[in-house]
Amino acid sequence: MSFQITDIPRLLPELMLLALALLVLGTDVLERWGTDPESQRERGKAAGQLTAIGLGFVFVVALVQSKFLFTIPAPTADTNPILAYLLTLGGNLQAGGPGGAPILGAFATDNLTMVARLIFIGAAFLTTLLALDYRPSGNPGEFYALILFSTAGMNFMAAASELILAYIALELSSISLYILAGYFRNERISAEAGIKYFLFGSLSSGILLYGMSLAYGFTASVNHANGGQPIIATLFSEIAKAGAASPGGSLLTLAVIFVLAGIGYKVAVVPFHSWSPDVYQGAPTPITAFVSTASKTAGFILLYRVLVTAFPSITGSPGFDSNFSGWTSLLAIIALATVIFGNLSALPQKNAKRLLAYSSIGHAGFVLLAILLWTSTSPTDRTFGTASLIYYLLAYTATNLGAFGALAVIRDAVGGDDMSDLNGLWRRNIGLTLMLTIMVLSLAGVPPLSGFWAKFFAFMAGYKAGALLVVSVSVAMTIVSLYYYLGFLKAMWMNPPKSTEPVRTPPAMNVTLVISTILVLLLGLFPNLVWNILSQATLVAGR
Amino acid sequence: MHLYDLPTGVPWLSLIWLSMLVPAIIMMFLKPEQKYAIRMTGTIFAFISLALSLLLFFGYDYTSAQKLQFVEELPWLPQAGINYILAADGISMPMLILNGFVIFTGALMSWNIEERTREYWILLLILTAGVYGVFVSVDLFLFFVFYELAVLPMYLLIGIWGSTRKEYGAMKLTLYLMGGSAMIIIGMLALYYGSGLRTFDMRLLAQAALLPTSFQIAFFPPLFLGFAVLAGMFPFHTWSPTGHVAAPTAVSMLHAGVLMKLGAYGCLRAAMWLMPEGAHYWLLPIAIATLINAVYGATIAMTQRDFKFMIGYSSVSHMGLVVMGLAAGNEIGLIGSVLQMFAHGVMTALFFAVVGRMIYERTHTRQFPELGGMAKIMPFAAFVFVIAGLSSMGMPGFAGFWAEFNIFMGMWDRFPLISVLAAVSIPITAAYILRAMYTVFFGEVKDPSFFKLPKLTWQEYTGASILAAVILITGLYPSLLTEMIGSGVRPIAEAIQHAGTLTLGR
Repeated sequence: MSFQITDIPRLLPELMLLALALLVLGTDVLERWGTDPESQRERGKAAGQLTAIGLGFVFVVALVQSKFLFTIPAPTADTNPILAYLLTLGGNLQAGGPGGAPILGAFATDNLTMVARLIFIGAAFLTTLLALDYRPSGNPGEFYALILFSTAGMNFMAAASELILAYIALELSSISLYILAGYFRNERISAEAGIKYFLFGSLSSGILLYGMSLAYGFTASVNHANGGQPIIATLFSEIAKAGAASPGGSLLTLAVIFVLAGIGYKVAVVPFHSWSPDVYQGAPTPITAFVSTASKTAGFILLYRVLVTAFPSITGSPGFDSNFSGWTSLLAIIALATVIFGNLSALPQKNAKRLLAYSSIGHAGFVLLAILLWTSTSPTDRTFGTASLIYYLLAYTATNLGAFGALAVIRDAVGGDDMSDLNGLWRRNIGLTLMLTIMVLSLAGVPPLSGFWAKFFAFMAGYKAGALLVVSVSVAMTIVSLYYYLGFLKAMWMNPPKSTEPVRTPPAMNVTLVISTILVLLLGLFPNLVWNILSQATLVAGR
Repeated sequence: MHLYDLPTGVPWLSLIWLSMLVPAIIMMFLKPEQKYAIRMTGTIFAFISLALSLLLFFGYDYTSAQKLQFVEELPWLPQAGINYILAADGISMPMLILNGFVIFTGALMSWNIEERTREYWILLLILTAGVYGVFVSVDLFLFFVFYELAVLPMYLLIGIWGSTRKEYGAMKLTLYLMGGSAMIIIGMLALYYGSGLRTFDMRLLAQAALLPTSFQIAFFPPLFLGFAVLAGMFPFHTWSPTGHVAAPTAVSMLHAGVLMKLGAYGCLRAAMWLMPEGAHYWLLPIAIATLINAVYGATIAMTQRDFKFMIGYSSVSHMGLVVMGLAAGNEIGLIGSVLQMFAHGVMTALFFAVVGRMIYERTHTRQFPELGGMAKIMPFAAFVFVIAGLSSMGMPGFAGFWAEFNIFMGMWDRFPLISVLAAVSIPITAAYILRAMYTVFFGEVKDPSFFKLPKLTWQEYTGASILAAVILITGLYPSLLTEMIGSGVRPIAEAIQHAGTLTLGR
């Protein structure tokens, strides 16, 4: 196991992200910008546009590399030389596509990584577009560079199949986000969001590290006791082997609990959620969109990979019966608490961002249902569970980016993001109202929008996993959630507006909104477009 | 009636529901000020959908052994057993033309909506597309998608264009119906995995041998109750009068006329067809609930002072009879039930047209003490109201008679006592309908300003005449429908009877 030169294309999107981040930082710092407001605005635009163009390019590279759309044929002898050169280039790029053993055992490039990369880079692209026309700030370069660093961190998180890499990736993405959340440091609410995010985050990292060290210690000592060769005891595959060699190891269960707690903070499930409403409300809205979608998705994918590749020996079962043990049981309890708490506490909220924060806590509970299906040993079931997990994350990312994007527009135009600021929006900008309506209905799970399929798949997975109680409660909670989602519709369509002055959507933000609306509709009307790709992701490398 | 053979290869059923979605999309490109164009587009397409339904109705061959005709199949998400499958049988056919009649007349009654005309029509048409879709879906998942599509626009329609306590009524209605949906989802999941087939195709799921009896008994209630909420079954009926009163006229017509039938249709199509043994087990509790529905609903209707509330509660009472026909579980009861869906749909649409559009929109009151002598002012309204009223009372020669007669016969066969007790609702119904007729139409004119009310428009004349004609034709020639309905419900009735013999044999 060593690093080959051919491994570089496999890391290409991450390398490109890091290079782009340094470039953006460079143009901002090294270039001489004037101090008048006009050139400062120009400075912000330049950094943002560079980031957006770069991210678009990286997205295309990652998409081609993933082989989801097409496989580039090898050039034959009579191909035009220029075309042959391009084909070879593309072929080399796709050689880094899905498949192969993890790089150094630590960085898996399987279909899961490919899908996750596309989600993160896409989300970062849309976030950048949202931020382009947002309120200008002092140091635009570092703002966009931090988004890029965070995206790279998420990519590593999704691909990590080794504890140290997983931890560092998680920190890379989190620390960038702490700074971004507190970016408007002169505003009390933003500063509070930053510091709160940081304090909770660092404590959770400690817990996560503790769980990791337990897993490491367990693996190393089992290997030692069995007289095995020296191993890298932080690899997920080695932990799984040790778990299989020593069944009933309660130390491993303890490790799972701590790891779950650590990552549970990242995905904001009850009881590790308490930071999220304050952070979501206080952070600049584009960053809220990014934290609530990409960061959460990264957490879920890391959680999924850790659980299924490192701890398959203690999967357990999620039905509240005699066989109640292992991490699926733990997830079932967490899911139950999360859907109940998230949805009920969203009811009294008056601030739209805060309301969506609680609603996204509730959504995290639904997502967990999809992971429960790993309890079944049948490959069909596992494929379905994985596909529904990623479908949920994809649909949720598209929807929430759009929803928070719309709130960012409203915040800029109306000056607030309380529910009452949405009053009579249809009279002020009917396109925006329509798009936000679609987003909210998708979050509420109304067919045929993608949010409905996502929830339905999650319920199917949960039911098949035997967690009838959790599924029933979750289904009941969708009714509760409908109440507050309808509140959006009521405010926008029924309540009289404060003023009839039109609300203007800046063009870049409009692009984000339109793209996410199209995604929500397309994924909903034609789920079979992506389903086959998602189904392939079950073959997790390192398992 | 099988008058002619329709060419195969034409996606007839898709055309019907698309004929409601296409105008909705056209309207999105019209300007809000082009009210005439919007109304005309909506009405013309509503007429097209009615014409298509009638074309299919007379082209459906109920003597054929193949009950599900005009089948269309397209893959949607075949990996998860979800497909786009449409087909129609003897139960869906009357429902299709019912929906056609109600949306066409409802469109005619909507010409007076001045506020946010475009949005109103778009939502109305999307709702109707959903209703059409439900009546022709054979895939349970697709069925559910259309079902939700039919239910949700209601929130905005009532909340924006409604009247009395509209926001409360809209929210209550939506939450109740979504509560029903939640139960339906549980039932769907159970069927999907319980059958072991991993498909939502109801034709496959209906093979009763797949589902063990204990399973059916456990999962019949969620599926049935989920739909019964929309059918207004006791004790889940309270959303319906509030919602009906709050809704604008065309919406109450559609809601009481068609949407509540969607619930009863779902009970029959999804719950009873797929789980006949479960249905047989639960017949008695359902019958008792519907007895309360019929009698209690009628009693409450009698005490109302608000005209629209009275109609709302009369809907609860009549829908109770629909579900009672289902609870009879035999062929005659099921025929009566489906016929009652049709008869009540047309009748109640006519009621709401008269009360909501002709009277309330002009006088701005619905209180009995303030109304009176309307027959002198708008004799046509009085005339059609009497027709609807007589049908509602179950007078022979009107549509309602045949329906109620069959329901009571079916129930007599199953639970004679309940049949006798439920018959109490007939005189009560007669009492409140006659009282309404007398106080509103035939008393003294209470308010002289009523003489200055605007005349009825041609849209109101046309719409109400069509509905009244349908009531009379069905009343005089019921076998136009009953033969076809019989062919549709026979397999379900036989499966339930068979479940009965199984229980006895044990």
